Amino acid sequence: MFEYDFMQRAFLAGFIIATLASISGSFVVLKRYSMMTETLAHSALVGVAVGLFAGLSPLWMAVIMAIFSAWLIEYLRSSFHLYSDAILAIFLSGGLALAIIIVSLGGAFNNSLFSYLFGSILAVNEDDLIAMGIFGSISLVLLLGFSKELFFIAYDEEVARTSGIKVKMLNYLLVTVVAVIIALSIRVVGTLLIGALMVIPSIAALQYRQGFLKTVLISLSFALSSVAIGMTLSYYYSLPSGATIVMCVIGFFIISLVVNKR
Amino acid sequence: MRFALPIFDVASLSLQINSQVILDSLSLKIFSGEYDAIIGPNGGGKTTLIRLLLGLEKPTSGTIKIFGKNIDEFKEWHKIGYVPQRASHVDAAFPATVLDVVKMGRTAKRGFFARYSAEDAACVEDAMKKMDVIDIKNKMVGTLSGGQRQRVMIARALASKPEVLILDEPNTGVDVASQQRFYELLRKLNRDEKLTIVFITHDIGVIADDIQRLFTINRKLLTCNNPKEAISCEDMSRLYGVDAHLLSNHHHHH
Repeated sequence: MFEYDFMQRAFLAGFIIATLASISGSFVVLKRYSMMTETLAHSALVGVAVGLFAGLSPLWMAVIMAIFSAWLIEYLRSSFHLYSDAILAIFLSGGLALAIIIVSLGGAFNNSLFSYLFGSILAVNEDDLIAMGIFGSISLVLLLGFSKELFFIAYDEEVARTSGIKVKMLNYLLVTVVAVIIALSIRVVGTLLIGALMVIPSIAALQYRQGFLKTVLISLSFALSSVAIGMTLSYYYSLPSGATIVMCVIGFFIISLVVNKR
Repeated sequence: MRFALPIFDVASLSLQINSQVILDSLSLKIFSGEYDAIIGPNGGGKTTLIRLLLGLEKPTSGTIKIFGKNIDEFKEWHKIGYVPQRASHVDAAFPATVLDVVKMGRTAKRGFFARYSAEDAACVEDAMKKMDVIDIKNKMVGTLSGGQRQRVMIARALASKPEVLILDEPNTGVDVASQQRFYELLRKLNRDEKLTIVFITHDIGVIADDIQRLFTINRKLLTCNNPKEAISCEDMSRLYGVDAHLLSNHHHHH
């Protein structure tokens, strides 16, 4: 299957996204921000709709909208005494509603929107890959560079703050990086499925009860394997790629649960 | 043995939340080398006071100076080790070994991408030895007993080489045998390492003979053993209720 350029690009894009999603996902899960991924994906969808409507790049608009809502959510969470899961629910359905309205105003691009909802990895072009490469590298460098601090914050935010770590700044940094990664991932697995690729590999890896570094590596290997297996299956059996990848991740999760049952 | 400059210098500290008075014009000083306990009824503002001292909450009025600096300008937070109350209720699945957690004590001293240095490793090892958790350093924190976990949390605080250690009800969820051992460890740190220690506690019977100063807090500061600030024990019985008997016994020892 690698004789086709589009398959090479698809695998490359899939591996980049799997790496970014699983590593950032480890922090997201430990901070109990799992629902944040779903919410930002729906906010990114607003960006996609705006991009399609206004003739701008959907990917860039998705990045901007995702970052904007990540900051707004983080601000609301820290400045008002609101339930954070309720804020996420508001943004999730609000984002979807707004996207639907913009789409219906635009009329004729339902098919392209469909590909953003469920992903169309085979349509990944050179420009997408370049954007993923550049912004993915920046995101990865930031995550790894602050991994000690982010790990501490995830474990105990207040003690981290009292020890002099810039918790607020790093929380904003984390949601920003996650927003960018989600926006980049939409092409590969789609808005409705990206949350799975971020959250499930980490949850599966946690079942092995290892230290943090090993847990991240296990999560990474599950995500990469799921992309490889999922895309191969989708190629030979003509299955939708994003959905197949997610089912593979869930397979790894179930295996991890069973293997570590006590 | 008191140095002129207090570590904490709190003056007229008040906190109101939604017109409810949590702390009312509270003033106190904590000096280097002290071994002090804070007691008081639930809801009396003990934990709130500590959170204010650590900058986790902002007062309605009053000032807090730490090592002579106004709290807003104070930057050397590594000098203050904090062990929160809920330390014994850590998520069982969190992927951290004892070593991982103690290392967190060195995190704030390192920056972006910086690796832990040999000095960090030495501080971490030293802290684990002092709190007697070095033999379990590769265990997952979720699998530890309450007493072990408590000592790990203190080891983490010690790893940053603090000058003062603040503990909020350190023995919540710890069995009695470990408690005794735990207070001996704290006392030893205070004596041998000249570490200033301030803790909130309910175990007044266990520690009464050892502590240097006892701060009783019920919105205001009522101390029994510092003549300048004290109000009578009759007042205390009225305000404080059931523990007052214990307190006045303690008073007669001095």
